[in-house]
Amino acid sequence: MTGSLPRRRFRLAPYVALASRAMAREATYRFDVFGSVASVLVRLYLLKMVWSALYAHNVSPAQLPLHAIITYSAVALLMGLVMDIDQTRALHDRLHDGTIATDFLKPISVPLGFFADGTGEVLFHAALIVPALVLSLLFVHIDLPSAATLAVFALSFVLGYLVGFWINFILNCSAFWTLEVSGVQLIVTWLTDLLGGEIIPLVIFPLALQKIVFVLPFAAMFSTPLLIYVGVIPPAGWAAALGVQLVWVLVLGGVATLLWRAGAHRIVVQGG
Amino acid sequence: MGTGRMLRVYREYWRINILTTLEYRANFLVWFAFTFVYHGSALAALWIMLARFPSMNGWDFRQMAFLYALWMVAHALHNTFFSSVSDVPDHVRDGEFDRLLVRPLDTLFQTIATPGQVFPDELILALATFVAACIYSGVRIDLVFVLFVPLIAIGGALIDLAMNLAISTTAIWFVRVDALRWIVAQLEQEFTRYPLGIYSRAVRILLTFVCPFAFINYFPATYFLGKTDGALGLPPVVGLLTPAIGIVFVALAYAFWRFGLDRYQSVGH
Repeated sequence: MTGSLPRRRFRLAPYVALASRAMAREATYRFDVFGSVASVLVRLYLLKMVWSALYAHNVSPAQLPLHAIITYSAVALLMGLVMDIDQTRALHDRLHDGTIATDFLKPISVPLGFFADGTGEVLFHAALIVPALVLSLLFVHIDLPSAATLAVFALSFVLGYLVGFWINFILNCSAFWTLEVSGVQLIVTWLTDLLGGEIIPLVIFPLALQKIVFVLPFAAMFSTPLLIYVGVIPPAGWAAALGVQLVWVLVLGGVATLLWRAGAHRIVVQGG
Repeated sequence: MGTGRMLRVYREYWRINILTTLEYRANFLVWFAFTFVYHGSALAALWIMLARFPSMNGWDFRQMAFLYALWMVAHALHNTFFSSVSDVPDHVRDGEFDRLLVRPLDTLFQTIATPGQVFPDELILALATFVAACIYSGVRIDLVFVLFVPLIAIGGALIDLAMNLAISTTAIWFVRVDALRWIVAQLEQEFTRYPLGIYSRAVRILLTFVCPFAFINYFPATYFLGKTDGALGLPPVVGLLTPAIGIVFVALAYAFWRFGLDRYQSVGH
């Protein structure tokens, strides 16, 4: 079926509609919204106390003084509001219940449809950053870098988001074969939190471990934008850092496309 | 209701759980991997922090590993035997709770003995981790240790149960209690990883007297490791009070539960 689909003219309107519908859907879960913001504040308090205690009795690392690591943690938690969402969960669900078959009949690109739906969900959650940030500022000081650094951070954040999107997409694609991925996914989420530098900056890791974690794609999700924000990656290193992120976006996007094609083909083989 | 009959029902409940576990062996392995990665990454995070900064409020990594393992045993005990108490809000919401009320068995007992897929994976892992942490931390193992550790683990599980039950009871009035449950879960699971003294005074008091999670692991570990309590200046021996604290808080939570049951109005289905 997929092989014989006629090429259609690309229209943006259906994807915008998908994204806005996803935003409306998310808005109905008000209690989860309160929980998300509360979670940021509770964790921020915890991290502030943990780092303050560790810095109080030990020699602080030259790269990251206490105020920088608290800024790092706060920005990481706010990023998490957006990054920790599995935007392509719908892919797994629809594979699971078989409704994916009707998606193939719709006059849109199916992966782009999931991207639009996921982006709508993410944009809604991004709106939570504002109240979470305001409340965070009540009990921690967050350093504000120069406008140029902020701009590069924003760009790096978008690239990190795309890396995360593809990792989730690949995991959900594996449902074409296994039909059950939630276990693996939760494990990957916990590993990403740690190996991506969301909880502890990767530059704090023991040197031998740094050699490993910095070459994994997870570092491109959280660590790179955050290290740009706090200035551990200086302006001279920006281009290289963004370049590595871009390479990951392309590599993971390529893998995801291949998996998607193989999976979609397989659905045809199964006959539905 | 006779205790004998309750015991028979409870034994039957566990028989069903074990049969289910044996039926879904692959699931058991997946859950085991889950639990392993969850606790493994938590311990790894502590190790990474304390590799860079050798101590936290006078606690080194070995002592914090013992702190974590002690919490893990109590937490796993609670999850294995009482986790279905947290399903009460769901039952209230979908009306299932009304069915429990009309049956001729204690409602809380029925809630605890609702068959599900209860795997003892976390408990097995917790016991193994605890043994390893005892050896690794070099804690002095004497008669008091051997006698009190099982009681403290049970007391810790009762503290968890008390908070779980109290939150579930609030669902009788508020129906949706996810955010509250989430915040208390953070206090129980993440705040207990660190020595109490790192927090501000209000939080230390909260974790000692209101949601007494510090009695699950901080106070007992302070006693067994021969440290002094730098948080509230209490004598270390209060660490042996955990079983009593567990019983008192479960009794309070149970009274609250009964109070709630008397005022229960169905969501109406």
